Amino acid sequence: MARRARGLSDRIFWGLCALALALVILPALAIIGSLLAQAWPALGGQLFTSTTAAHGLQNAILGSLLIVLGVLLVAGPIGILGGIYLAEFAHPRRGSLIRLGYETLAGIPSIVVGFVAYLVLDIEFHWGFSLLAGILALSAIALPYVVKTTEVALLQVPTTLRDGAVALGLSRLTALRKAVLPPALPGIASGLVVAMAICVGETAPLLYTVGFSDANPTLSLFRHPVGYLTYVVYNNTILPSNLDHQIAAAAGVVLIVLLLILIGIGRLVSRWAARYSASLPT
Amino acid sequence: MRAPLDQSGDVKMSVDDLFLGFGRRQVLHGVSAHFPKGQVTALIGPTGCGKTTLLRCLNRLHDSRPGVRIDGRVLLNGEDIYHRSTDVRELRRRVGMLFQRPNPFPQSIRENVTLGARIHGLWARGETESRAEAVLRDVGLWDAVRDRLSGTPFMLSGGQQQLLCLARALAVEPEVLLLDEPTSSLDPHSTARIEELIDSLKGRMTVVFVTHNLQQAERRADQVVFMLDGEAVEAAPARQFFAGPTDARSQAYLEGRPA
Ligand SMILES: Nc1ncnc2c1ncn2[C@@H]1O[C@H](COP(=O)(O)OP(=O)(O)O)[C@@H](O)[C@H]1O
Ligand SMILES: [Mg+2]
Repeated sequence: MARRARGLSDRIFWGLCALALALVILPALAIIGSLLAQAWPALGGQLFTSTTAAHGLQNAILGSLLIVLGVLLVAGPIGILGGIYLAEFAHPRRGSLIRLGYETLAGIPSIVVGFVAYLVLDIEFHWGFSLLAGILALSAIALPYVVKTTEVALLQVPTTLRDGAVALGLSRLTALRKAVLPPALPGIASGLVVAMAICVGETAPLLYTVGFSDANPTLSLFRHPVGYLTYVVYNNTILPSNLDHQIAAAAGVVLIVLLLILIGIGRLVSRWAARYSASLPT
Repeated sequence: MRAPLDQSGDVKMSVDDLFLGFGRRQVLHGVSAHFPKGQVTALIGPTGCGKTTLLRCLNRLHDSRPGVRIDGRVLLNGEDIYHRSTDVRELRRRVGMLFQRPNPFPQSIRENVTLGARIHGLWARGETESRAEAVLRDVGLWDAVRDRLSGTPFMLSGGQQQLLCLARALAVEPEVLLLDEPTSSLDPHSTARIEELIDSLKGRMTVVFVTHNLQQAERRADQVVFMLDGEAVEAAPARQFFAGPTDARSQAYLEGRPA
């Protein structure tokens, strides 16, 4: 009797787990499926060879990549160094003040960050719609993630590893480089990937700061608007023609592929970084 | 009360009326002890009495922890290691440490052994490989790792990892070696191996090891220091201590009675 009841509750439990899993996976599949169906007629080489002026996405893809690369270069080093400082060097009181700072920054809605960046950088500094203004606005959004994940990854490294390095007479910097950082790198890398994924998907801050352009982006940081993928999704949806809608869906597909590539790169970096670590992801 | 000091022979390290507190929590209450040169001292006492805390004072491992207050003196070759002029990193090279759990660096096996010596500038460029091999042979690990020097240390067994950590500590040619319950997480074979190594260091190096295994202390130590509640209650030659300690509290501990 008791065993029968246990068997039944077991089955109910696993049933609920399967249901929850389905609730997570099915919507994702549904979104990707309908996006693909929508985009199907437009999917082709011209997406990569023509600009948005000629029903392609070349300028938007290049623009999105350029913006994300910029965020990686700005928010990456600053965020990682900030996280290292907080986890390894900061006095507890100063640390909590800095934490308050970035947690506040993380809570500001991205459209507000974009608006402020627009007022200060585009208007006050006379940068106009520009690549750099967009990169800085998105960096402000990415930075708290990078700092936080770096700090958490470092705090998870066991103290005995630090002790071992310090007891050998290594400097704190060498101890960090040789003993503490390697096991934290996978966590730091995945934090970077999440931050970049967020930036690839942002729209509002870019509407304010980089505007949009049908032409391919240049490397000039100031006074040149830049095209990017999320704008195409947003803007083409309100255009009348069917082809425009297909291009919007195609931009969505390209965004998802970009995310998958980012995640893949993150995995590779993590694996490489953890090659000597205890928990090798095999 | 001070532990009686046996002042015969050369003293390599000594602790003089040492107090230590973590914040407001006082953990060491005036510990005095000495560690004779080239001899093996076993530090014993119930869990929580401050053995690890004392051991970490001997190479200033408490330095970077906020809120640790230390009073009193720790002497190495008669010089106060807490004096302002001490080169702390050089001190830690001279006073090496092996921890309770193996903690190899997340680097290749080779790098684990060579890093310290390289940083301290001990080995000439061309001799790194041969010196690393010699150290690994010393701890009896060479045959197990010779084919995977570039591999991760975490594929080794726990005992082998601890031997690697010992090799890492010995590679920087310390004068004093501190071991904090070095065998408590190891199998009997690895334990015997570590004990033999402690024996082989006698005369060459001053060894202080913490252990909960009284047989181990009796087998391997020249001197025993018994600690209780943050004080060194008794220090005596090992044979004498285990034959019959003078302090009633040591007696109680040996018999497994509460003090
Ligand atoms: N970092 C710390 N902060 C506060 N108390 C500590 C800390 N480390 C150790 N203690 C306390 O100091 C006492 C002695 O600890 P320890 O030296 O580790 O004992 P043992 O090694 O003899 O078992 C214990 O009561 C422990 O709780
Ligand atoms: Mg201990």
